[in-house]
Amino acid sequence: MRYSALTRRYFEAAPCAGTLEGPGILSGAAGSRSLGTWVRFDLRVAGAANRPAVIVEARFLAFGCPHTIAVAAWVAEQAAGHPVSAELPQPVDALRRSFDVPVEKLGRLLVVEDAWRAAAARK
Amino acid sequence: MNSPVYLDHAATTPVDPRVAAAMAGCLTADGVFGNPASSAHAHGEAAFERVEAARAAVAAAVGAEPDEVVFTSGATEADNLAIFGATAHSQPRGRHVITARTEHKAVLDPCRELERRGWQVTYLTPDGHGRVEPDRLAAALRADTVLVSLMHVNNEIGTVQDVAAFAAVCERHRGVRLHVDAAQSIGKTEFDFHACGADLVSLSAHKSYGPKGVGALLVSRRSGVRIEPRQFGGGQERGLRSGTVATHQVVGMAAAFTLVVAERPAEGVRLAALRERLWLGLEAHGGAVRNGAPEGTVPAILNVSFDGVEGESLLAAVAPRISVSTGSACTSASGDPSYVLRALGRDDRLAEASLRFGLGRSTSLDDVEAAIEAVGRALARLRRIGGACATAR
Repeated sequence: MRYSALTRRYFEAAPCAGTLEGPGILSGAAGSRSLGTWVRFDLRVAGAANRPAVIVEARFLAFGCPHTIAVAAWVAEQAAGHPVSAELPQPVDALRRSFDVPVEKLGRLLVVEDAWRAAAARK
Repeated sequence: MNSPVYLDHAATTPVDPRVAAAMAGCLTADGVFGNPASSAHAHGEAAFERVEAARAAVAAAVGAEPDEVVFTSGATEADNLAIFGATAHSQPRGRHVITARTEHKAVLDPCRELERRGWQVTYLTPDGHGRVEPDRLAAALRADTVLVSLMHVNNEIGTVQDVAAFAAVCERHRGVRLHVDAAQSIGKTEFDFHACGADLVSLSAHKSYGPKGVGALLVSRRSGVRIEPRQFGGGQERGLRSGTVATHQVVGMAAAFTLVVAERPAEGVRLAALRERLWLGLEAHGGAVRNGAPEGTVPAILNVSFDGVEGESLLAAVAPRISVSTGSACTSASGDPSYVLRALGRDDRLAEASLRFGLGRSTSLDDVEAAIEAVGRALARLRRIGGACATAR
């Protein structure tokens, strides 16, 4: 399997890998290790009254192929400063193109999206 | 950054410089470049003599007679010639073939093709170490069985099969021919064509420090096995494989086989020690499962599954430091879990998260230590990212 430079960079560095603990953490997971892909996001959010909650920092865990790990890391890295939303920083199809993910692996990006949505839905 | 350590000798080996030198003598105008079939002039005669000397050397290395050696483009062509050639000749007597689930694709795909043509194929399931029990073969034989195709050394896990026992079973069942894929055997373990009792044996040069693009099918004269040719146009190789014989390729194969057979006893002891050090180091990382019985595998191959990581990521994580594969080089591009490990009873996750380490002549203790360290780092990182300990599933 050949990987794009962006995929290699985020797979090798895996920024934001890990978990967050404490009150007010939004956590969501999707997929299954036994099926080959599992992703979890933890979001620390802050928000004043009458203002939308904003993501202060994000962490991820991922069991999966290099594309899965790279995309989950990129999503977690991009999240800080953005309002909590069910939408990923980029749509799945745009992520697929950015990371040069083979079309047969689209389902793995949908696991990343499902995990993100599960975390965002906790707000 | 240093080049990755090469630990994929079961996929292919570098050509030995002594082999390359022998081949170079058959390429240019100052060498033996003639067509070996051009018997009318000196250039052709010289090439013919080189080809026949190569044939004799290959035969001597594997315990065969020179006129039992049919040169091919490699083991895949030899497997195809054996399977389609033997079944074409035997089909008036029956249309049933027996093979194993752990065979190389070069055997399994022709068997699938036979099924598409209306043949019946029985796929034997090996035991947990990849061994096919002769009793299971005996039980699978039928009145209409004409061919058994079972490999000698498994390319993914290195398990050595008891070919002589298979031959004895086939011998009792008169008329059943035994084909053996021995592409991984030469130089890795002892192999003697006449002693093993097979009717047909496939060989490859590039697994044994010879060039890619050449191999051979051994066709037993003693057993009287007959095969139909699959390729026509010149009648070379006793009519079984038409096409100009590539003098430099067969000369390279002969030189390579001669060298690896002579060096095998000492090299086998050296590689066995390195392999055990590699296993102990990998085992210490936790969650490691050895595939194949240590006492029944060639010293040059170690196959290990790792719990708690995903296979493609493991391979990608170690690739900057070591060149290994997840299984057969011919199928690892598919990304599917190893069908060989699945046949041994491994679940999909363990079958997918496996690495095949192919040790060879250039492998040193430093290389083995580097591999242990590279795998350890990759496992720790991927298990941390995946939020799993070594035994988590």
